[in-house]
Amino acid sequence: MRPTAVRCDGITVQFGQVRALDNVSLAFPVGQIHAVLGQNGAGKSTMAGVLSGILRPARGSVEICGRKIQSGQSAAARAAGLDIVHQRFSLPPSFRVAEALEFAAARKMGGLVYSLRRIERRWRERLDAVGITVDLRSRLASLPVETRQSIEILRALANDARVLILDEPTALLSPTAIDKLFRQLRELRDQGVTPIVILHKLKEVLAVADTVAILRQGQLVLPPTPKDTLTTSRISTLMVGAVSVATRCATPTKDMPAADLCRLDGIATRSRGSEPGLHDIDLTLGQGEILGVAGIEGNGQRALAETIAGLEAPLAGRLTLAGSDVTERGTAARRVMGLRMVPFDRMTEGLSLTSPLWENVQSWVAERFRTGPWPLISIARMQESTRAILDRFGVSYRTTTQRGDTLSGGNLQRVILGRELAGTLKVLLAAQPTRGLDFAATRFVWQELHRVRDTGAGIILISSDLDELFEISDRILVMRGGRVVGTFTPPYSARTVGSAMVGAAE
Amino acid sequence: MEFLDQFTVTTLRSATPIVIAAVFGLFSIRAGIFHLGIEGLMLASAFAAVAVGTASGSAWIGLAAAIAVALLLSVIYWFFIDQLRADTVIAGLGLTALCVGGTAFAMQALFDQRGQMASTVRLPRVISGVDEGLLSYVSELTVLTWATPLLIVLAWIVLRRTHLGLQIAAVGDYPYGAVAAGVDASRVRLVAILLTGFGCGIAGCQLAIGDVAGFAENMTNGRGFFALAAMLFGGFSAIATALAGLFFGFADAFGIFLQLNDRSGLPTQFVLMAPFLLTILIVTISGAIRQRRDRL
Amino acid sequence: MNRVGQGAAAILPIGIAVATCMLLFALAGYDIISVILGVTEGALTGFGSFQQTLRWAMPLLLIALGFLFCLRAGEFNIGGQGQMMMGGLGSVAVALLFPGPVWIAMPTALLAGMLCGLIWSGFAGFLKVRYHADEVIVTLMLNFIAVLLVSWVTTGPLKDPAVRGETASTPKIDSALRLGGSDGISPTLLILVGLAILAAWVIAERSRMGVQLRYVGKAPQAARWQGMAVRRLKFQAYLLAGTFAGLAGAFEVLGPNGRLVTGATPTIGFTAIVVTIVGLSRVPGIVIAAIFFGGLQAAILFLPIVSDLPSSGIKILEGMIALFVTAEFLRHWRQR
Repeated sequence: MRPTAVRCDGITVQFGQVRALDNVSLAFPVGQIHAVLGQNGAGKSTMAGVLSGILRPARGSVEICGRKIQSGQSAAARAAGLDIVHQRFSLPPSFRVAEALEFAAARKMGGLVYSLRRIERRWRERLDAVGITVDLRSRLASLPVETRQSIEILRALANDARVLILDEPTALLSPTAIDKLFRQLRELRDQGVTPIVILHKLKEVLAVADTVAILRQGQLVLPPTPKDTLTTSRISTLMVGAVSVATRCATPTKDMPAADLCRLDGIATRSRGSEPGLHDIDLTLGQGEILGVAGIEGNGQRALAETIAGLEAPLAGRLTLAGSDVTERGTAARRVMGLRMVPFDRMTEGLSLTSPLWENVQSWVAERFRTGPWPLISIARMQESTRAILDRFGVSYRTTTQRGDTLSGGNLQRVILGRELAGTLKVLLAAQPTRGLDFAATRFVWQELHRVRDTGAGIILISSDLDELFEISDRILVMRGGRVVGTFTPPYSARTVGSAMVGAAE
Repeated sequence: MEFLDQFTVTTLRSATPIVIAAVFGLFSIRAGIFHLGIEGLMLASAFAAVAVGTASGSAWIGLAAAIAVALLLSVIYWFFIDQLRADTVIAGLGLTALCVGGTAFAMQALFDQRGQMASTVRLPRVISGVDEGLLSYVSELTVLTWATPLLIVLAWIVLRRTHLGLQIAAVGDYPYGAVAAGVDASRVRLVAILLTGFGCGIAGCQLAIGDVAGFAENMTNGRGFFALAAMLFGGFSAIATALAGLFFGFADAFGIFLQLNDRSGLPTQFVLMAPFLLTILIVTISGAIRQRRDRL
Repeated sequence: MNRVGQGAAAILPIGIAVATCMLLFALAGYDIISVILGVTEGALTGFGSFQQTLRWAMPLLLIALGFLFCLRAGEFNIGGQGQMMMGGLGSVAVALLFPGPVWIAMPTALLAGMLCGLIWSGFAGFLKVRYHADEVIVTLMLNFIAVLLVSWVTTGPLKDPAVRGETASTPKIDSALRLGGSDGISPTLLILVGLAILAAWVIAERSRMGVQLRYVGKAPQAARWQGMAVRRLKFQAYLLAGTFAGLAGAFEVLGPNGRLVTGATPTIGFTAIVVTIVGLSRVPGIVIAAIFFGGLQAAILFLPIVSDLPSSGIKILEGMIALFVTAEFLRHWRQR
């Protein structure tokens, strides 16, 4: 029996009405690579937060390398030998490499004042030792993501971490960088460090992990178990739960005329930070069609959505909506023409959490064209129509004046759908519409998308969840590096679509 | 040449308080605090310098009192914006208003003076007793003006070569990273605000018992806000901020020069507007630059 | 939190600020009772006191209502002071330079005041939405410039030759153009202010633009995705703010002052910001808060008559309230 690296007992975390972790107890033995697997919203990141002492659980305790940790104290967890590399980088992007590493190091150089040359020498050695070639004077923000991630890992190891948690480390990496990362993790394991990797892709888990633990909706459904004793189908069943085994296949509606509702011709946009711009995108969306857009996050999906929404002006190309050229027209004009949008982030882009529900549900731009130019409003009438919409979309609420942030994630998405789908629409742009939702809420979203499709509207569905795309798309485009690299029609194969996403086919 | 000497010295004299306040104000602004209380801190310190300096008969004790008052007010400001989560801008303006009212109140309550009061002490000059040539002008510069380059270097070192500087930058720039590194953000903010207060104390003292010998109601007259503008213009870097502050001193000297020597009939109000217009221009340019950078 | 709770949360910081101030005065050896009596008499009970309170509440109220629009749009336009002065400048220029029948000249003077305020604020708004120039600094600087412009006008082109000494001013305008006497207020003025309050309320609470402004301020990203013209809305907020502040300046000239005076009300713009915040960013709340601060202003002028407390003591109180007003006392105590 191996000694225990990390143990937690009865961890419960509550976010508002949502129980993110429910009485989770588990132990990770030393000297193995552990994977914690689960869908979006299963509680993986919350788990990482609790273990690293950033989140304070409502109940339960954490023990690291045999030392009990005062919950909610990241410094204590670090002192006990646990460090975490987040999805979100922890080193300030405006800092130079050497400054950032020195800033985060537990043991500082020198006294009150440091010499730049000395800290650079110190970190140059460390970086060389693990084969990172980087200019110590360059700012982190200017480095490629895989380099930044390697620096983050180095930062954790420099603090003598014995347990290293990596939260979704592959999300931003290319396939070759992922392989390199996994090699590095194996080396670490052989040096006696215990890596705990939080992932949601089965393929990657199988590639790197020694043991697998699975979370589903805040509950531990599988304690750390050696990978060899598990089958792929058992893991996926545990991950998604029995109910969600695909029940229906997309049935394209055949009797629709093949008019193009939305058309992109040779669209190109500027790149932004680590997000690539679009290159020569051609795309057509027919009536009654759900067009899925697949791709690893950060491959131009946002640029695509913002271009269609009218938030980003393309450098080149033409965009037509229901037959008329809208390339030069703004979001408001496009909405009036029948474009509706479910943005990526429902908390900041979808609605205003601090505004009352009735303000969120009214479509302020399209409304003007429904009710005429009169600038004054009747709050009573607006609240009445808000109630009608909220009731129709099954939102559980008390009054139309309660603030957005009093609702749960699933309810918020219903509010957004209510606003966007209440009137008549021609094209719906839905970006990650089910991210973080539980199964019932996901089902509801899918039903609504089908209903909208059956009215003859076209839907562009951007999702990083292949299961979702397979479930409801009539056609799937795959984006990589800001280009469309493949088009697929049912029946879909996870293997071919997946390899187009990561570029394995070439 | 005499004119040029005089002009240079006037520039340095006008610039000294702005430069010191701006360079030390960087600590706050880098920690993410838009500190509009700087104006008030300078005013309160100016009063403390005159009051305590006159009472004790020593300019140095006046300086110490100026710094002490600025530090005390800084702690209060920190308590409100950090511990009580007050809005930094409104609380900063409130602090300034408090100092405007408080100094007038104290002047009347303690010294029975209205509007202004004279100081019996002045900061020592490094060079004195010369009344001819270049040195006669230079001899007007106080010890604090001479010490300004040192203070700038000191601020630069703290900002760029100490762990404290890194922590301040992280707290202001990337609070998430500061938390992740286990930095106590509240404490760092306190230290940053105190350092700013220290600078404001020196700046206020220079204003009251360095340049002139006395205190007048609202005598800072927007210099604290100029300091903020200098920081924005200097892109939050110590050296560039100091140069921007120097530029404000230059504009001020130019205004004084025109007032004294110009016979074209240009109303002095328009000359006095120059630094304000310049500040608007500066924040517009720096805003546009930042906007362009963010977009790429 | 319900309405009562919100009201309590708004009054609490003021209560603490007042208590702190009184403690301070007591420690400094002043007789608090006489101070309180003096303030009450000067603001409420004395002969003509409440009239003075309303007279000072008026400009505060108008600037605060204007600031409300910017605050809701997430813009910290602290230039109410300058916008008000420019409004007064515009008004006085029309009143003095373009004589005409009263029924033309008076509305023109009012409109000129509003227009000048609008331009002054719109300039800051333009620099903000177009170039991202920090609006706090820009509006602050525009305040200083407005003070200098008024000082130039009152000592130069529109100087009253009869006035000597410290405070320069323009000559008095034709009394036919006055909206109220020098004692402060008149029925006409009150009706006009009432209309302004109504207009502000309708725009802020019952217009499509008002709701959009609030939405833009709270969730700019969501507003963008909804197709709201974020920059245009923000710019409109500046224009509204300037219009209301300009109206305040026009009222000062056409009402109580009857002329434009240099340095008449140096901190009124800043106090107006505090009025908006104390009034919980709601029109009715702002009306109440404006009357409260108007009362303090009236008391400043009256206090020296009954108490030996320097009138700058009231300024301390105002600063203290500003310092306290956004502090979250309740949150802090609950945590403990």
